[in-house]
Amino acid sequence: MRIQKAVITAAGPAQRALPLQTLIDRDGQEKTVLSILIEQALAAGVEEICVVVWPGDESRYTQAAGRHAGAIRFVAQAEPKGYADAILCARAFIANDPFLHMVGDHLYVSSSATPSAQRLVELAAQEECSVSGVQPTRESLLPRFGTVAGRRVTGRSDLYRVETVIEKPTPTEAEQRLMVPGIRAGFYLCFFGMHVLTPAVMEILSKGAPTLSAALAELARKEQYLALEDEGRRYDLGAPYGLLIAQLALALNGQDRAQVLSQMVELLADRELRAGAGGGRQ
Amino acid sequence: MSVLTDVIGASGAERDRALDALCRGASLGELLAECEALDRFRRESDNLYERVRALFFLYAIHRFHIPLRAEAAAPALIPYAGYSNLLKRRFEEAIDLFLAAQREGGASAANSSALAAGYRALAFQTLADQVRRSVRSVRGNQWMFRAGHPADYPLRVRQELLAGAPVFPVLREATPVRMDLTHSGWSDIFFLGMDFPEGARVLNISIDLAVGGEPKPPVEAYFRVIDQPVLRLTSVDLRATADIGSIAEVFDFARDYLGLLKAAVIASGIVPPGMEGATQPLSELLERLTGRAGHGIEIVSKVNDIPKGSRLAVSTNLLASLIAVCMRATNQIHALTGGLEEQDRRLVAARAILGEWLGGSGGGWQDSGGVWPGIKVIHGVAAEAGDPEFGISRGRLLPNHKILGAGEISQATREKLQQSLVLVHGGMAQDVGPILEMVTEKYLLRSETEWLGRQEAIGILDEVVGHLGRGDIRAVGACTQKNFDGPIQTIIPWAANLYTNTLIGRARAEFGEDFWGFWMLGGMSGGGMGFLFSPARKAEAQARMQTIMSEAKREMEHSVPFAMEPVVYNFAINERGTEAVILSGASALMPAGYYTLTVPPLLRVESRHLTGSRRAELERFTGACRDREEFSGMVHDLFDYLLPRAQEATADRSGSLDGLLETYGFDRVQHEQIQSDLRAGRIGLAQNRLPVTSRIEDAEPDAVDPRHRARGMQALAEGRVAVVSLAGGVGSRWTKGAGVVKALNPFCKLGGRHRNFIEVHLAKSLRTGRDCGTMLPHVITTSYLTHHAIEQHLARAGSYGYPGPLLLSQGRSIGLRMIPMERDLRFAWEEMAQQLLDEQAQKVREGLRAALIRWAAQAGEGSNYTDNLPGQCLHPVGHWYEVPNLLRNGTLRRLLETRPQLDYLMLHNIDTAAADVDAALLGQHIESGAGLTTEVVARHLEDRGGGLAKVDDRVRLVEGLALPDDELESHLSYYNSATYWVSIDRLLEVFGLTRDSLGDAERVNSAVRAVAARMPTYITLKDVKKRWGKGQEDVFPVAQFEKLWGDMTALPELHCRFVAVPRVRGQQLKEPAQLDAWLRDGSAAYTDSLCAWE
Repeated sequence: MRIQKAVITAAGPAQRALPLQTLIDRDGQEKTVLSILIEQALAAGVEEICVVVWPGDESRYTQAAGRHAGAIRFVAQAEPKGYADAILCARAFIANDPFLHMVGDHLYVSSSATPSAQRLVELAAQEECSVSGVQPTRESLLPRFGTVAGRRVTGRSDLYRVETVIEKPTPTEAEQRLMVPGIRAGFYLCFFGMHVLTPAVMEILSKGAPTLSAALAELARKEQYLALEDEGRRYDLGAPYGLLIAQLALALNGQDRAQVLSQMVELLADRELRAGAGGGRQ
Repeated sequence: MSVLTDVIGASGAERDRALDALCRGASLGELLAECEALDRFRRESDNLYERVRALFFLYAIHRFHIPLRAEAAAPALIPYAGYSNLLKRRFEEAIDLFLAAQREGGASAANSSALAAGYRALAFQTLADQVRRSVRSVRGNQWMFRAGHPADYPLRVRQELLAGAPVFPVLREATPVRMDLTHSGWSDIFFLGMDFPEGARVLNISIDLAVGGEPKPPVEAYFRVIDQPVLRLTSVDLRATADIGSIAEVFDFARDYLGLLKAAVIASGIVPPGMEGATQPLSELLERLTGRAGHGIEIVSKVNDIPKGSRLAVSTNLLASLIAVCMRATNQIHALTGGLEEQDRRLVAARAILGEWLGGSGGGWQDSGGVWPGIKVIHGVAAEAGDPEFGISRGRLLPNHKILGAGEISQATREKLQQSLVLVHGGMAQDVGPILEMVTEKYLLRSETEWLGRQEAIGILDEVVGHLGRGDIRAVGACTQKNFDGPIQTIIPWAANLYTNTLIGRARAEFGEDFWGFWMLGGMSGGGMGFLFSPARKAEAQARMQTIMSEAKREMEHSVPFAMEPVVYNFAINERGTEAVILSGASALMPAGYYTLTVPPLLRVESRHLTGSRRAELERFTGACRDREEFSGMVHDLFDYLLPRAQEATADRSGSLDGLLETYGFDRVQHEQIQSDLRAGRIGLAQNRLPVTSRIEDAEPDAVDPRHRARGMQALAEGRVAVVSLAGGVGSRWTKGAGVVKALNPFCKLGGRHRNFIEVHLAKSLRTGRDCGTMLPHVITTSYLTHHAIEQHLARAGSYGYPGPLLLSQGRSIGLRMIPMERDLRFAWEEMAQQLLDEQAQKVREGLRAALIRWAAQAGEGSNYTDNLPGQCLHPVGHWYEVPNLLRNGTLRRLLETRPQLDYLMLHNIDTAAADVDAALLGQHIESGAGLTTEVVARHLEDRGGGLAKVDDRVRLVEGLALPDDELESHLSYYNSATYWVSIDRLLEVFGLTRDSLGDAERVNSAVRAVAARMPTYITLKDVKKRWGKGQEDVFPVAQFEKLWGDMTALPELHCRFVAVPRVRGQQLKEPAQLDAWLRDGSAAYTDSLCAWE
């Protein structure tokens, strides 16, 4: 199985501006969020990328894609019918191929030599099945994520065979149905926001699965479906200070780390000194 | 090699051998060797069941077997440090200290009483800890104990409930209650299910109820979002509402009547238990929950007219209903409306168990049965690999529910059952806690007859299911009656009582063959009960049972604790279980009763100060008053609440209180003196105590000398003795302040039927009279509380056929209770040694005490206590007055006129059941020439309250209240049994009177006053119940004063002797929980042997 296609969803009314924001990437280059995502996909071996957008956003996104504009195609989501529908909009583009899926309002910063997208794609190709990136996540964050339950694959500490998926579970339900042996108490395997999916998912979505999680739960019943634990970090750009934090994460993981750190220290010291001079701390 | 540890470790029939049978023939040495082995075994075993059973074995050997060995009878001192550890729930340390004392001083009944208490408490603590651990480890509950900060808070209210502001929709849950058709020997106790899952089965039916009218789910819970950042809790039936703004207040269960709602809020995870102690404002959490700043939630509970003590698990099902509505609202249950899936029902049941534990209460595992639909068998399940209980207990904490469909019990049978059963609340309200402990204990000891009873009860369940399958309701009635007459009373004799037996007898007499059987619900009878009749006569039976119960209640209301007027319910089987609906728009209303509580304060607020949703709600409410049937009449009701009619009622009640005070000779001058002394701190709990400089040492009484028997018999034959039974009290510990005449309480079956204390004492006098050939005069002293009831009762009962002179000595002294001083409450609760409760129950108690201290301050410390029924505001002033009253009211004079040879009185408490006019003791008193001989018993652990002591070189009785510190009591070997032999002439001398001067009322009165002035006045705190609503009760501590007869032994001019009598004679029955042991240790049989029953 070769993964040559990717789908990036960016049509949510509240998030459609986020991929257009400009950040400085780890290589010190100024790029839009969309460009960074596209580069991650391309680095993973993807050749064609479909971006699902709000109708009319195509030109701004083409601009934001910069030199990668040629690699992408746009599909407009005619009505704001949610995330699952957004993915389904790319059905024609996907045809009968597996694809890498990323969400447009998150940035992924990998801590290992191999970027997250690439690890997922390689594993999916090797195992010939869908694979989702997951991360042990504290139960207080469960209202924000789809969460999987599964069993660890023998001989691998970071790979799970998924048994079920529940969208934004309550901790009560999580404790009953989503506990995974080997994961710390109070932590669950939540989606990292990056998946490699087989076309079967499109089939399930087309039959009316209300959420991607519901479709993936169905998928787990039908075919092998794996979850790969990722040690990288994801940054929700839509959260308060999301862009700033994502920028800091990129900078502190990139070539300008020393420069940024020293400027931050200077900023802090300056503030403390002023506070001291002003008669002590508040 | 230990036989008993082998039994514990065995399997099959060997495991079920009865402890009593194994110990009966053992010598003291053999028992001690077994105890040593058991103690070692329980310390080494890591199996819950083995440890608990070994602890119960140890308890039973020390309680029921060692004390019967003659070598253990000598008195011994119980180490105070051990006693103090018991109070602090440091059971292991206490046991070690008692064992060390046993090694040093040898085995003794006294030390064994302490060991028995220690082992028993440790056994129940071990069980409670295990249930608590299991509840916490149930999957779906664990996270709640980890979430300790609002930032960790993971729940969100469902979007559907946030739509439509400012009129947020209301989610309403309606839940049936449950009845248990088989009562399988209380097998729904958690430990039974966890140790004997195969024997833990019940047939549980969900029902709708009504008192008059169409039955409907009796329990309702409401949830909605509000536009204020508070948690608003309202109990419509308890008429309580509160806006809670801090996390700490959510965990303060006893602060108000909202404890159950708070337990539901916590157990549903809305404020998870892990948050206890968090200091962040609750608004922070509510903002996360609702996703909106400045918003909160409101939860309302409502019970449709079902009184407390219904034995239908109303409170557990209300808790479950509240939990279900909260869990639906926060998406923990998928279905927002309609019924529940099995997995959700189980989750709600597990959370209800958690909630009960949090609230310091506890029901059985079948109690949340109302969550399930229809008829179901609920049964224990063996723990398997993967269960949190596996390897710890044999069974799981949560049972399984098998719903019986129409295929198993046909629709026609269900209808027949409804057409046969008359479901009632008999009006009694009792504490079933001790019963559940007895059941656990007897199960673990495999007491022979009780174990057979349990096997039979298990069989009866199958019979009932079989009869239901065949549609034979008559046979079901025969089964439930057989169950009540057989296994239930074999396991717990106290499950039956005279009231219930009377009802059954009258139903049978009136309906003959058409009365198909009685059916006991829940822990014991007298409250919720069922009577099965032929369907043809159900309507008639429904009406007649109301009359029969009301009549029986009227006859017995002075002798049996009733909380309310009996009621007959209409009921119907609920085939749906708990269900929810969403009410939106104009229908988004709370129940009608809610508005009588919340609208009056809103009307006093200017409209512009009301929040948007409150304004909108008032509009909807006004519309509903016009258009909706359930809101009709609301305007009237509102006026009633706005303009209460309390003035009129108060005037009436205080009038009758004043009337009572006048009638009973209330001494206002004395009362005001005491009140001012109390307020000034001259008297009080701390001032009851003797000066710390007093020298208080142990003292030795005389032994009983049987050689004096002949002398005693002669005096008896000559008619020189009378008996005085002190019956002025209402036994506040006996019925926890219910105000019942203890002397008339039919407390136990003796001679084949239930007998009250007076009947027992008269039967002993009759036997003595027959033995000596002369009938004894028997005097019963009464007080304002007991006189009329006793007089009427004796008249009705024909004085139980007592052929001798029987006189009532009417009390002439009365006190008016006072609001306690804060310092006395604090002294009682903080300075005096007292039993700590289990962790959660103790927290609840501390919250309650803080509330009571606030109550005392608000109500006015030291002021008159008048906010209750008049009878509950008065108090008897201590039994010292009961003897002088014999002088003042002429009883003694009359007695001496008819029997001039009378020289001696035997005076005893009403609850010293086995005190009889023993010839040897009488002879010994006569020979000694004493004015007063007091009977004492070797002290056991439970004997608290003073005893025999040498105080500054005089041997006398000293009250527990007067001991300068708690530890001193443990240095006194003998306890006062409160039975006294009085020489009449010696006593009159102390009063400065003679037989001839008894006719001079003025002289008698001043003589009594003079001696009274020499007696210390003790301030005591007594619990008094205030009843309200539908069977609700509050208990208040009130202050009163007492003078006690034992202090007569301090008078130097009175020659006093003390004699040690066997425990079986001197034991007093202070609490119903003592009865079971009293029956089992042979005391009841001994008492019976002293009686001649007519």
